[in-house]
Amino acid sequence: MISGNYLLKRICYSGAAFFVSVTLTFFLLHMMPGDYITNYLLSLTNALPKETVAQFYHQFGLDLPLTEQYVLYFSNILQGHWGYSYAYSVPVFSLIVEKLSWSLVLLLPATILGILIGTVLGARSGWKSGGKKDFALFNVMIAIRAIPEFWWAIMAVMVFAFYLKWFPLWGYTSINVLYSGISVPDVLYHAILPVTLMTFFIATGNYYVMRNSMISVIGEDYITTARAKGLSEREILWRHALANALLPIITITTFQIAAIIMGNVFVETVFSWPGIGLLTTDALRMRDLPLLEGIFILDTIMSIAAMLVADVLSSIIDPRIRMGKDE
Amino acid sequence: MSRKIILWVSVAVLCAYIVVALCAPLLTPYSPTEITGSPLQSPGDNHPLGTNDLGQDIFSQLVYGARITLLYGFCAALLSVFISTSIGIVIGYYGGFADELVSRAIDIFMPIPVFPLLIVLTAFFSPGILTISLLMGILGSIHGIRIIRSQVLSLAQTNFVEGARAIGAPDFYIMSRHILPNVMPLVMAKFVSSSQRMLVMGVGLSFIGMWDTTTVDWGTMIQKSYTSGGMALGLWWWLLPPGIAVVGISLALAMIGYSFEEKFNPRVGVNRI
Repeated sequence: MISGNYLLKRICYSGAAFFVSVTLTFFLLHMMPGDYITNYLLSLTNALPKETVAQFYHQFGLDLPLTEQYVLYFSNILQGHWGYSYAYSVPVFSLIVEKLSWSLVLLLPATILGILIGTVLGARSGWKSGGKKDFALFNVMIAIRAIPEFWWAIMAVMVFAFYLKWFPLWGYTSINVLYSGISVPDVLYHAILPVTLMTFFIATGNYYVMRNSMISVIGEDYITTARAKGLSEREILWRHALANALLPIITITTFQIAAIIMGNVFVETVFSWPGIGLLTTDALRMRDLPLLEGIFILDTIMSIAAMLVADVLSSIIDPRIRMGKDE
Repeated sequence: MSRKIILWVSVAVLCAYIVVALCAPLLTPYSPTEITGSPLQSPGDNHPLGTNDLGQDIFSQLVYGARITLLYGFCAALLSVFISTSIGIVIGYYGGFADELVSRAIDIFMPIPVFPLLIVLTAFFSPGILTISLLMGILGSIHGIRIIRSQVLSLAQTNFVEGARAIGAPDFYIMSRHILPNVMPLVMAKFVSSSQRMLVMGVGLSFIGMWDTTTVDWGTMIQKSYTSGGMALGLWWWLLPPGIAVVGISLALAMIGYSFEEKFNPRVGVNRI
């Protein structure tokens, strides 16, 4: 089991990681060339009155020294104020929550399906490793993974949406949403193509990890014992080998759930899906600093939490891992 | 058997790409940024793959694009492997305070999400492709340090290292002559697989339009064609070639990487009962 001392230490490191990440991104973003006015507003109009510009800088505290801004920003973060977006003039937090829920429409089904498909295929492939089927499946999976995600997306749009016209070209809803409101079947219809793509992509990663894990489990003594007891191959695979080989999948799954938010920036760009990924690139283009910082905080929290959960979970599931005792 | 064929085909493809990148001026009739024809010409005698929306020759762009695309893939991977190997060997060999310091620093830096950070850094250093690939390398090395370190930790306990120490060999000699050759297979495998990942990441970053759009690389070519309606107009010779080029090199590197890994990592080796 996990020792309290170790857990405490991990939580301290997580706090430090959070601090470093937030500080780093704050200074990076604020020292970036160009700002909201020069990068975005001036591209819409030819000239802005000086008073407007001055008022904008004053309102968002951008006329203060950078260190002072940082202290203010950090104390606000700790109190749960994530600031206001320049471009959307709404609180950053609620904006992120709204976009995140759109991302989850794609990510939730894709992740669940991807993990299931990848794990089952990986287990079978690893169990029969060295065989013809395993060899073929393995190469196909590597090939799927090696081709960039955005290229798959472009090809899918070109073939299934543009030439075959089975699916809409882009977006998350049809134009008639203006009269009839958002309808669930319509959104699902738009989601089929991106969800399928992401499922494939997630499945390949899980497949690879599961196959390797399975191969290392096969040689263990308890598999030989199970065989000696006269159990059928199927029983050994699904009961004995799979249960032991699943451990790395737990780690990779927690990370996938964390990386999920940024992971689909390509798919969202190609399909113009209004999720977090598209929000990030838009915010960067417009130099919407509070929004970008908010997205970063979310990413950092997710990935720190994933590491903690992966550690704790794997030590609970596998009693051989005794966290903190080996140090 | 067939694994070997795949490996050699992949190596041949990789060599072909490198040759094309090196001989770019000999292969192309025009400069990639020069306007040499009317916009959106179809493939013809003067322009083997037609022209883009500005009237630049697509074939020349494709060939010159190999240079930049390969450059950031390999630069980033080289730096990342160099950093992780050198730091990993030193802290794994000496242990003690330096090891503690670096390991704790890694603990703190590990959870920082790399990809969004990279997007911001790209916007920050926009025209500097080399700077960005170096940054990719530095960010990508963090995980590798851990892997190399754990290998070196067990190597440092082996008899031949003890023996070398006993006859008074200096530390640097032991690290470079005894430890480095033993982690080299792992380092090579990491180099190939990370050059594939970095290359795809670089193309991805330029595809979402995060770096200077005047740079001619495959990512920007795809982005330009995709966003200016290359697909809707049916101009396949504008959209497909850069994409196929990326897919080819990425597949070749991935196949070489997995072959290496299967060969040198005993844990992934195939053992059939």
